[in-house]
Amino acid sequence: MINFGFSISRPRTIDIDRNNLHKSNEIIAAMPELQTCIGCGSCTATCTAGNLTEFNFRKVHTLVRRGEYQGAYEEMNKCMLCGKCRLVCPRGINTRGIVMLIKRKIGDF
Amino acid sequence: MTFYDSFCIPFIVGAIYMALKVLWKYLSWLRNLPASDLKLIAKGLFTHRTLTATWEVVRESLLHARIWRVDARLGYMHTSLAFGWFLLIVVGWVETIAYLGFRWIPLQGHVFFKYFVPLNNITQHKPVFDFLMDALLLFVLSGVALAWWKRHRSRSLGMKRTTRHNTLDRVALSALWVVFPARLVAESITAALYGGGSFLTTGFGSLLDYFFKTSTLRALYEPSWWVYSSALGLFFLTMPFSRYMHIFTEIPLIFLRHYRLRPTAEEKSYDNFEIEACSRCGICIDPCQLQSQLGNHEVQSVYFLRDRRYKMLQQKVAYDCLMCGRCEQVCPVGINLNTLRLNSRVAMRNTPNEGRYSYLRSIDPSQGSGKVGYFAGCMTLLTPKTLHSMQRIFDAAHVDVWWADRSGGVCCGRPLMLSGEIDAAQKMVDRNRELFLEAGITTLVTSCPICLRVFRESYNLEGIEVLHHSEYILRLIQQGRLQLRHTTDSFTYHDPCELGRGSGIYDEPRAVIEAVGTLLEAEHNRRNAFCCGSSVANTAISDSQQQTIASKVGAELEATGASTIVTACPLCKKAIMRGSTTPVADLSEIVAESILH
Repeated sequence: MINFGFSISRPRTIDIDRNNLHKSNEIIAAMPELQTCIGCGSCTATCTAGNLTEFNFRKVHTLVRRGEYQGAYEEMNKCMLCGKCRLVCPRGINTRGIVMLIKRKIGDF
Repeated sequence: MTFYDSFCIPFIVGAIYMALKVLWKYLSWLRNLPASDLKLIAKGLFTHRTLTATWEVVRESLLHARIWRVDARLGYMHTSLAFGWFLLIVVGWVETIAYLGFRWIPLQGHVFFKYFVPLNNITQHKPVFDFLMDALLLFVLSGVALAWWKRHRSRSLGMKRTTRHNTLDRVALSALWVVFPARLVAESITAALYGGGSFLTTGFGSLLDYFFKTSTLRALYEPSWWVYSSALGLFFLTMPFSRYMHIFTEIPLIFLRHYRLRPTAEEKSYDNFEIEACSRCGICIDPCQLQSQLGNHEVQSVYFLRDRRYKMLQQKVAYDCLMCGRCEQVCPVGINLNTLRLNSRVAMRNTPNEGRYSYLRSIDPSQGSGKVGYFAGCMTLLTPKTLHSMQRIFDAAHVDVWWADRSGGVCCGRPLMLSGEIDAAQKMVDRNRELFLEAGITTLVTSCPICLRVFRESYNLEGIEVLHHSEYILRLIQQGRLQLRHTTDSFTYHDPCELGRGSGIYDEPRAVIEAVGTLLEAEHNRRNAFCCGSSVANTAISDSQQQTIASKVGAELEATGASTIVTACPLCKKAIMRGSTTPVADLSEIVAESILH
């Protein structure tokens, strides 16, 4: 293959019809407030772990809700549960509760 | 002489069953104690601790001194039931000795002595004992009457709310309430028919004699003793499974506590003594803000301990707690409620993932090289005013500072710890500890009480003095290194839970406030201070619930009329700001504003 010095991203389609949404539905049923997330990214911007790593709470919980569990457990385990995200969330989502719930529900997926 | 009659059977069966069951429980709990705990018992057994523990047993198990401090009426109720019953038993034994001399008499002979007096044709009565026993019975009956009254009108005994009991507790409770009136009736009928008795039983007996024919009283004689014996028997049968297990369990608990046994982050056999020593008196219910301010009546410590005891604890109960320590503060049995809830959470935690937090190893966000370290903590980084104020204070006092995490760092680990993930928290503890020791600091200052507590309790920082910024600022003022302008401003102070009840720091922040202005105390302060509602310990509470608590706390602080609400915790500051229109400031801010240049 010719090296152009740059590449394009892998095609990344999320097919919600094909994904197993069982866990996702359980998580949303347990904490429906997660659906009020507007994706503003305040949580990610203030995140203690996000400051040190690539951890992105908004991304992980969005993927989990879409049934993309691969790697989510490892990512969530970077969270230190300090709770800054909860204090800045404009929708008042109990983010710490969500982190614990997702870890508990998807385990080592 | 005979000391047996068929009516004694329920009592004898109940008493034997209870004794065996309670003994079995204690032995199995003791047998399962870890070796370190057993060693502590062996070390303390033959020291003065046994004596001080014995004294505490008298004070607490019999007199219930700590309940007197909650409310005198409530104290009287508990004393009359516990100490009164105890005296009835002791004086009863002395009475039988006085009548029959030192000789072996079966247990029921002591308990139902009044029945066996006419049966054995003892005609020489001893009025002193008759009087004493009647007086004691009246003492206990007054307690029963208060207990009954409290079930319906708990407010009149100083409790806004009292415990909702389960069926077994209700059965045991009813049996206990029947025991003493039944004893009164049985002894009164006996006094009416055969003499003996004193002001109470003779008086009540002649009243019965007035209303009923002697033949009726004769017919009621045996049944009345049956009722008394059955009530006792039923109480003894239900006792090991109900709240009344508290009566005996508090005694070994007091001894074990004096031998320095404590619950730990992981569940262990000792916890059983604490859990079953809970009498479900419900004194922990009123102080709980989730109850008084949010109307949540399911999660209080009394219900948590009950659920854990009967192995039906659910996550929502274990996690829905601010761990503010207001209940622990008033618990008359002195149960370590927060630690027990914490080790329940630990037992319920996610399976630990060994590989996680490996990223911490390479992280060193520290700056500077001073001997005084400053750890802002996550929450202070979210309230930058505090951080800047600390910088101004350090500059004014010419302190060379080692900044542990000025531009973001590793969490102290306490939030994970409080959520039960102790193995994960340990990785944070290890990394931060490494950084502190490498930096060679001698003092570590933090403006976050959450961090302060974990530094002091779990970091094992030998050679490093850990100070909250309130303590450090006060020290700078006292040493004359910080010159402050005393203003006419008025402040009120909110005690953060982790700083006050958690670390016992009440006076230092107040002294600092008084150095810059006037302090106006809120209604609930110091040990009784409210929680701001945003505690990191509660992962189940909703945002609107946090807001409700913040408004109530804010309103109380505003009621002092102070122009500024001061607190010494960045999380409390964030929380109270949402619940009040008065400006909220961290302690360091008002100090930095008053620095004389």
